[in-house]
Formats: sequence, C-alpha cells, structure tokens
Amino acid sequence: MSAAPLVEQLSREMGISTATSLFDGHPPRPVHPVLAPIFRRGGLPRGEIVSLTGGQSLSCALATVAAATREQKWCAGIGLGEPAVSSIADLGVDLDHFVNLVTPPQDWLRVASILIESFDILLVDPAYQPSAGERARLLAKVRERKMSFISLTPLQGSTEQIEITDVHWSGTDHGHGRLRSCLVEARSQTGVHRFLLPGPDGTPAPASAGQDAVPGAGPSAEPAVGPGPEQRPVIRSVS
Amino acid sequence: MSADTRTLVLTVPDWPAVAAAIEHDLSPGTPVAVLHAGKVIAANAPARTAGIAVGNNKRAAGFRCPEAQILVWDEDVDNRHFSAGVGALEDLVARFTLLAPGTLAVPLDALRHGYADEAAAVEALISALVATTGWEFFPGIADTVFAARIAAGRATRVPPGETVAFLSAQPITALEVTGENWTELIDVFVHLGLRSLGALAALDATDVMSRFGPAGRRAHDLASGRPDRPLRDHLRTEDLQVESVLDVPTTRSDTLGFLARQLAADLLTRVRAGGLVCTQITIDLRAAGDRSSRRTWRIEDMTENAIADRLRWQAEGWLAGLGRPRTGGRNLGRGRSIGAVPTDDGDDPGPDPEDFSEEGITALGLIAAELTTPVGATKSLFDENTGQITHTLERLQGLFGPDAVLVPRLQGGWDPAETNLWTPWQQTAAPARDPQAPWPGSLGTPRPTTVDRVAVDVLAAGGLPVEARPAGLGAAPQTIRFPTGTTEAIVDFSGSWPIESGWWDPSRSTYRTRLQVVTESGQALLLSRESGQWYLTGRYR
Repeated sequence: MSAAPLVEQLSREMGISTATSLFDGHPPRPVHPVLAPIFRRGGLPRGEIVSLTGGQSLSCALATVAAATREQKWCAGIGLGEPAVSSIADLGVDLDHFVNLVTPPQDWLRVASILIESFDILLVDPAYQPSAGERARLLAKVRERKMSFISLTPLQGSTEQIEITDVHWSGTDHGHGRLRSCLVEARSQTGVHRFLLPGPDGTPAPASAGQDAVPGAGPSAEPAVGPGPEQRPVIRSVS
Repeated sequence: MSADTRTLVLTVPDWPAVAAAIEHDLSPGTPVAVLHAGKVIAANAPARTAGIAVGNNKRAAGFRCPEAQILVWDEDVDNRHFSAGVGALEDLVARFTLLAPGTLAVPLDALRHGYADEAAAVEALISALVATTGWEFFPGIADTVFAARIAAGRATRVPPGETVAFLSAQPITALEVTGENWTELIDVFVHLGLRSLGALAALDATDVMSRFGPAGRRAHDLASGRPDRPLRDHLRTEDLQVESVLDVPTTRSDTLGFLARQLAADLLTRVRAGGLVCTQITIDLRAAGDRSSRRTWRIEDMTENAIADRLRWQAEGWLAGLGRPRTGGRNLGRGRSIGAVPTDDGDDPGPDPEDFSEEGITALGLIAAELTTPVGATKSLFDENTGQITHTLERLQGLFGPDAVLVPRLQGGWDPAETNLWTPWQQTAAPARDPQAPWPGSLGTPRPTTVDRVAVDVLAAGGLPVEARPAGLGAAPQTIRFPTGTTEAIVDFSGSWPIESGWWDPSRSTYRTRLQVVTESGQALLLSRESGQWYLTGRYR
C-alpha cells in the first residue's frame, strides 16, 4: 500500500511537508476564537505564507495578528497606505508592537527581506508579484525564521488561502441609522465560514441568527456549508 | 539621617489660574477659572469667593460668577511662566528642584549655612520671590519631600522627627499630591478600608509590594515617611546644550557629520561628568532666513556616531523638503513636519533648490532632552528582542529616511484622520490634541480601517449633486464619482450627521457633515462634506 495518500493528507491538513517538521513542534499563533476555524490548524501558521484576499481583508488580517501582538510579538505592515490607528486599536492590536512602513511600493520585497530577520509577523500588500526565484527565496526565509507572513493579494506559494467572498454591512437604512457591523463570508481550506467583522464593538464576533434581520440577505443564518470539518477524512493511528 | 532629606516646599496656590491670568494679561482682581475636559481644575481667590469650586462645569461656573474669565487649561503656559518666574531663585539658593508647575522644593541643608533658622530662611526666600514675581507662595517644611508637599498645601511646618505622626493623620487621598496617576490605586485602598496614610503604613511592606507592585511599594514608602528617590536638581539651562555656528553654510553631509561628531562628543562628556545618561536628544538645525528644524530622537546606545547619523538624516530630509515646492498633499507623520516653511516669494513657483543649496545649514545645536541615571537606562529582562527590532528598524531608517518607519499612537480628534498620530521610530510622539479630553461627535465603532482624503462627487438621481443641510441630505445619494472618473452605485447610506468643531476660534472652525455609504461592490466608505465639497475620508477595508 502506497504511503502517498497519507503524506498528501499530512501535508494538506497539518502543514507537515517534511518528516523533520513533525518534530519541530511549532504551534500556530493564537487568534481570536471566532477566526480560529478558518485556519487549518486553528491559528496563524508559522513558517508559511497566508494569502487573505477580498473585501474587509485588512480588518481580518489585523484581527488575526491582534492576539499575537498582545503576547509581545512584533508585527509590521508594508504597503498598507495610512491605516487608521483607532481601528487598529479597536481590533485589539497592541499599538506598542505594531510598525507601519511607508516605503516605495517597488521596494516591498527588499523591505520585507530586512524585516523577516527580526519580526514575528509581516502584513504585506505586495505591489507586484515576485519572480519565481525571489519567491522561492522568500519562502525559504519565512520557513527558516518560522515567522508568519500574511499577503493581502494572492501570492503564489501561499499554503493557506483565505478569500472573503461576500461582505454585507448592516445598520444603515437608506438615510437612517449608521454602520453597525459587517457580516463576512470567508472561504478557506476548512470550508465556508460566516462571522461579523467588525462586530458591534469593533472586534470580530460570531454571526448569530438574530443578527441576520436584513431581508434578502440569503440563508446566512445556516451553519457553514461545503466541506466542513465533520466531513473530512480523519487520520487514524495504525498499530 | 532625617536631617538630610528635610525639605522646604514652596507652592503657589491655584497655579493654573494664576498662569492663565498672566498669559491673558488679566488684573489680579479678575475672577479666573481654568477649565480642562469640561471641568474647572483651578480657580483664583476672587473666583472662589464668588462660589466657583473645583469640579464645576462651565455652565455652573458662569452661573455663579458671570464676570469670571473662563479659560482653557494649557500645560505649556503653566510650565513656561513658572520656570521664568522662579529664575530669581537661581541667585539665592545653590540647589532647588521644580516638582511640578507651581511647586518647587529646596533642600534645607542648602540654606543652613546662610540663615539663622528655618523661619528666617523661609521668610527671606518668600519675600525675594514675591518681590520679583508678585505671586503668593505657601511654604511647607517636613522631613520628606512628600510630607513637605502636603504641609505646603496648608502652609505648616512639621517639626523635625514628627513627620511620621503628621503623615499618619493624613487621608489616603493625600497621595494625589505626587502628581502620579494613582486614582485607581487610591480607590482600591479606600475600598480595602485604608482611609489614612497611617493605615497604609501599618501594613507590611513586603505584602504591599507583592499585591500592588512597584506603585504600591512607593505609596507605602511615602506614607511611612521613608525618603523618596533623590530629587534631580534644577539644571542651569545652558549646562546641557551645545551649539556650533558654521563659518560657511553647508549642505554637505560629510561636513555636517564631522561637526556633529565633535559636538556630540562634547555634550556626552558633559552629561557623563554629571553622572547621568542621556536617552533622548533634541537636534536643532538652522538655515539662513530664520528657518529651523527641531526634532527629538530617542537613541538606545547614545554614541557620537549615532547622534551624527540622526543629524545627517534630519538635515537631508529637511533640505530635500525645503527644496521641493510645497504641495497640497498630506504626508504621513505630518505631526512632526518641519517647523518653518518657506513662505517668501509669493509669485515664485517655490524656492529654487539650487538657490537653497548655496545657503545650506548655518548652525547646529544639540540638547540633552531626557536624562536618567545609568540604572534607569539599562535594558530589562522583560523587553523581548527589542535590541534586534531596533537594529532592523534603524537600518530601514538609514535606507529610506526616518519617516519611512512609523509607530502608531492615538490623539484626540473627531475623525480617524485626526486621531491618527504616526510618529517616526525612536522619536517622541507629540499629540496636538489631548486624547483624554471628551470629543463630542467623534466617530464610534466600527471605524474605517484606512484613512484617505479624496475629493469625490456624490450624485442623486438625475446626476444632481447631493446637498447637506443640518436637518439632513437634500436628496437620496445614488452614485459616487471618484476623481479618476470611475463611478459606483450607492446601495445604502446612513443618516447624515453634522459636526461643528473649533467654533470658538474662527481660524480653526470647521463645519462638516458626515455620511457612511455602502457601494454596490459591498465596500463601505466614510464621507464628509466640508465647505460645499464631499471628501472620501475613510475606507472600511
């Protein structure tokens, strides 16, 4: 019996690509409980590139890194423009461990390669796609430093792809009220997830059935569809 | 050795009110109340006679005394007038310390040689100060600085050796005179039943330390009359600043670097001679025509080379900025932008860079901005990999300029663009607006993720522009047109709400109407209409 399916399954589900990485034991970085199911291993992976695209992706990325920055991990943003400090703080990021880089867009790869040396998390909106050689070197460096790299545009070589496919703001009513929360539908390797980002208090919140009072918003109160965790094949130990 | 720490504290009652009266040139008989965050924080004697009390709001103060001058608190004014006023003391005593605006401390052993007893010394000092400044001073004498500050509040002298008894009778709220942010700590003490300093002092020091950490330990020390950390003497201002005037103005960075290294070595020698360590340095550059650039840098290991590097970066950035004609565009970190902007040559398109480079920088100045003891400057075990981070970020600053690496801070304001305070790495953040003050009408959560400022057109049905009135929008917005020419349909929009800010000052007064819209692509935008034009001020990304 060939071991290929098992190897494929290990690499896909647990991010184990080589035999030695089984022993490395680098647990993913903790994330907000609402965001944890999006990631294959329940947290922000280390030594891999995560691509996070679609509407509200910057908010989602900032919410993802928030828990790590509160644990004294340093995070740098490249090519994000001028983020609003108030929303960064609302999403829970520790302002003492966040740095924003305002460098020429064409230099993003050089800046990232300098920052990889000492930062734990990079949040990058790349201005261009790197060449195959540059990409391989970037990946190798990310893997070697065991740091987390989040790209806000699709980047080849990323091992986790999260795409926000639908956003629905609520609170406004044609000239009445104000924006209150945003229902986000995100598709990742673990299935389709719905949650509020930002929720009423600016942080991620689970999508509740009562929240979805907007007419014509579709069956978003239903549980996640697609290949959910319960349908996945399970690895069993063999004696 | 209680005699060593015996201190005289002189305090001006209601100092903020006195300073504000001087600033606005009011006669001493005018009732003055100083307002901060909507509450009166100080009122002078005529105002208090009229019934104004600390903690009143503006309306209550105006009701009790309609002729009172109600002024807004300005920390700068407080400090400036006080340090100018007490200059007279420099000739009278060898050592003294400014504890806070309005309060100063003189160690009594500095006076013992010149005066017969404590009473004579106090009388001589107060009459000299009153003669030069005209302010009222309350003296207080006790064995520790903390006790002397409490004593000065009621103009008493605590005899030697009785300080502990004096302190133990004080209420726990007396800890507030230290000026530290201990409101929460004091609340906890009160809830625990510790109503007086004596009750706190009766506890075991180790228990207090393990429960409340260093702040509790310090409060316990103060309450039990143990001497506090030694005060830093008032430094004669000329001591720790160096300046060099160039014979020939230059723009060459090697020349500047060479001069800066010499100047920095000189300054650091002086700092070390005082047994201190410099952790922040202010670099002052001047060019012809009264233009100057001043920035404060924090440097981890302060060496000549590090200072010379910062000076070179600042000079290059400044000269480049001066050479460029000033554009209307906003740049990140603008809070720390160059002080003086060329405003001459009205019809000229802007100063010619070639022309400026012939003038160059004419003088350099270095000022030791923050001094600590060597113990305070050592790295702690608990700062995780700061050294490595600092090294990386400084390397990037060297490559792309100091303004390329920005750290976030919050300041006061109504819109996200106003609350943003991006400061270059290792520079001291200088908030222009107080973040603690109330900002009525500021945007609540959820707030936009990125800040923008683009003029856009908001169109109603039929392509007519949407007007904004205090009562609401003129018509339902249907389309938004960006300056690039692209348009997007608006599928939903919020109620509009007007914000009037700075109405008390015509030069800063703005009236804007805020609106949130959701476009057909699902994106939410924050719009603001100011003087007849819609602007896109934030995006929810």
